[in-house]
Amino acid sequence: MFHWFGKLFANYASPKELREAGILGMNRRNFNVISKYNKRRLYPLVDDKVQTKILANKIGINTPGLIGVIEYQHEVKNILEIVKGYKEFVVKPAHGSGGKGVLVIKDYDNDIFTTTSNKKLTYNELYQHISNVLSGLYSLGGKYDVAVIEELVHFSNIFQDYSYQGIPDVRVIVYRGYPALAMMRLATAESDGRANLHQGAVGVGLDIRTGKAVNAVMHNLPITHHPDTGVDLMKLEVPFWREHLEIATKAYEMTGLGYLGADIVLDKYRGPMMLELNARPGLAIQIANHVGLAKVLKKIDKYYPKKLGPQERLDFVLKNN
Amino acid sequence: MLKKFASVRKILTLGLVLSIIFAAYSIYYKITYWGFSFWPKQTTKIWTIEAHVSFTPNGDPIKVSLASPYASDDFKILDEDIVAPNYKVKKDDKNKRIILTSDSIEEEQNIYYRILLFDNEDAKGKIAAPVPPAPKKPIMDEQMAATAAKLLKLADTMQGDEVQKVIRLLNQTPPDSTVVAFLPMKKTQKELSLAISRLLSLKGIPNRTARGIKLEEDKTSFSADLMMEAYIDGVWKLYDIKTAKKGKPENFVLFQRGGNSLIDVEGGNDSSIKFSVMKSITSSLNLAGKRAKLANQEDNFNLSVFSLPLYEQNTIKWLTIFPLAILVIVLIRNVIGITTMGTFTPMLIALALVKTGLIPGLICFSIILSIGLGLRALLSKLNLLLVPRISAVVIFVILMMQVMTVLGYRFSVDIGLSAVFFPIIIMAWIIERASITWEEEGPANAWREVIYSVIAAVLVYAIVNNEVTRHIMFVFNELNLVILFIVMLFGTYTGYRLTELKRFAPLVRDN
Repeated sequence: MFHWFGKLFANYASPKELREAGILGMNRRNFNVISKYNKRRLYPLVDDKVQTKILANKIGINTPGLIGVIEYQHEVKNILEIVKGYKEFVVKPAHGSGGKGVLVIKDYDNDIFTTTSNKKLTYNELYQHISNVLSGLYSLGGKYDVAVIEELVHFSNIFQDYSYQGIPDVRVIVYRGYPALAMMRLATAESDGRANLHQGAVGVGLDIRTGKAVNAVMHNLPITHHPDTGVDLMKLEVPFWREHLEIATKAYEMTGLGYLGADIVLDKYRGPMMLELNARPGLAIQIANHVGLAKVLKKIDKYYPKKLGPQERLDFVLKNN
Repeated sequence: MLKKFASVRKILTLGLVLSIIFAAYSIYYKITYWGFSFWPKQTTKIWTIEAHVSFTPNGDPIKVSLASPYASDDFKILDEDIVAPNYKVKKDDKNKRIILTSDSIEEEQNIYYRILLFDNEDAKGKIAAPVPPAPKKPIMDEQMAATAAKLLKLADTMQGDEVQKVIRLLNQTPPDSTVVAFLPMKKTQKELSLAISRLLSLKGIPNRTARGIKLEEDKTSFSADLMMEAYIDGVWKLYDIKTAKKGKPENFVLFQRGGNSLIDVEGGNDSSIKFSVMKSITSSLNLAGKRAKLANQEDNFNLSVFSLPLYEQNTIKWLTIFPLAILVIVLIRNVIGITTMGTFTPMLIALALVKTGLIPGLICFSIILSIGLGLRALLSKLNLLLVPRISAVVIFVILMMQVMTVLGYRFSVDIGLSAVFFPIIIMAWIIERASITWEEEGPANAWREVIYSVIAAVLVYAIVNNEVTRHIMFVFNELNLVILFIVMLFGTYTGYRLTELKRFAPLVRDN
């Protein structure tokens, strides 16, 4: 009698199943985790990339070098002067999220600007893009924004085969100062060079102790090989893993946020660098790791020592997980 | 963590319980004293009865005693008014009479007594009556008594109950010879009722005459109807003395019961009383104030929104539906887990749909959106700054609405006319957002966002566009308070969203 009903919900899990697997849902994340551990007044520290950068440099976290900031419309015409002496640069909105409004120029002369995906922009188009950033097109809530001009990250060749164009980055969820879950996000042809999972990027769950792949998903479904490059994702291992986690762990001291997501990229010359922090990191990381986040958070609440310094916490995680 | 969480939920639950108790009492109060109901009955009938008393004075001081109607549960007296200059008016509530007195006057007298009754359809029921004493045996001479006995025997051959048998017998055509001996062929209503009364008394059935008028539209200058009431099985039952039909006729108002006359005039001759009836229809809510006054609940009523002028009431009626729409949005977002463009955008679209109708509204929405997206695509080539660009889209939308409305009017297409109901700024933002999503994440994502928003809007519409829901939310506006606490309680809902059950299903289904 309820056959059609069963069929309709065949792809659905029961709440009980999810609860038992320790999956963290959006409502519970917002109510029990974010509103409890992330004070509202701390948000500007991570929502504004200029502030994040300044704070990070103070505490000794590596970030891409700052070239300049464009605050007002009349400064947009100075862009060529600002980037003088740099062969390449990145323009991003200080209050952007999810890679929106990020323009990566790998080569330029006075008229033509070439992006990493080999799109050619005229000076007018670049000017327009920066204007759009200032007018708040890419910022949270459409508020007026400033444009951050920073140095380009030189991606380590190690990941070349793992990502189709675009920038692979490591996302670490830090809960009360402890790295809880980590994944690497790899761009695909479908995601158009972006590392956003909901646009079709590949998420590779990483063992929090070793940085080795444990699981990989695309569109929420398990995969073993990259759809475009065909490389075996299970062989992925992030080098300088301790340094990656160190950045994530220190981000807790830096911001005071009890639940945060740290996005880290590996630079060929400078090692792991913090790209940005997120005060409301998403839940897809659970699928990439095939692990429930609630379970991990509970373990940290219950068994992990409190009031340790960043290095001690890092040691604790690397030893005891 | 758990402790704080539990206490927040406890406080909110307590608030919810208190608000439900308050709302329940308030709803009960409004139904009882103000005559509100759960069903959107738009109108109530109001009857204006005018009794015209006329007589010729004979020089003595005048005393007029007039029967006033019985306020029953089904007809309540809204207002009464006597036009009788030079008279002193006294009301005798116990005997339901109005006494008018005056010194002697010469000329012909006309007194008007006007009452407004409203049809209290919500409360039609039976009225309990005290047990009357056994009727006195009528005094009759021997011959008459024999005829009466014969008649009672004859009556047994008729159909119906005891009373109906008697009435039917006396009204038989052609009349039986025995009947003719008892009652003249050309009988008046009064003679007929007297004959019925005597026969019933002989049988030992308590009875009395009753006078009243049937409320019919625009009846003028008619006399009161005479009815017969008989006490059977513990209640007084009303009978038509001609047709023997049992029960109170529809829209019948009793003026007088028992032996008293409808009107007594001392100091005057040739008195007559004629009635006129006029029906009018009024909004039920308009009457609420009068009902409250009748129930001595005026103070509370004057503090409610229903004491406001109609225009303000209509505005508030529109506002009171919003909390319900908001509740639906909360459910869609936090329990079902559909992401829409902007939090309340679907709600605002839904409220526009209520005004335009579902299908015309959706067609109109699609037209505005498609043309808007097309124009917005052209705009994006111009590389304008954000604020001027969104402003341009707003003006586009306004122009489109004008064109659609004019075309709709010219060609009598309602779809065009409904364009003006869509909130301009919201439409502009939908176009802007959809076009940005289109450029950044592809048309598929843009359409998905729009379609989800429309689905949410239609869901809200389905709940909001119900006459009964709208009526209840307005008339029992204390429900807004209940919804407030429900919404806040959803703020502590930490369960999974419906969409998450699917999203995270791969995590518990091992392959």
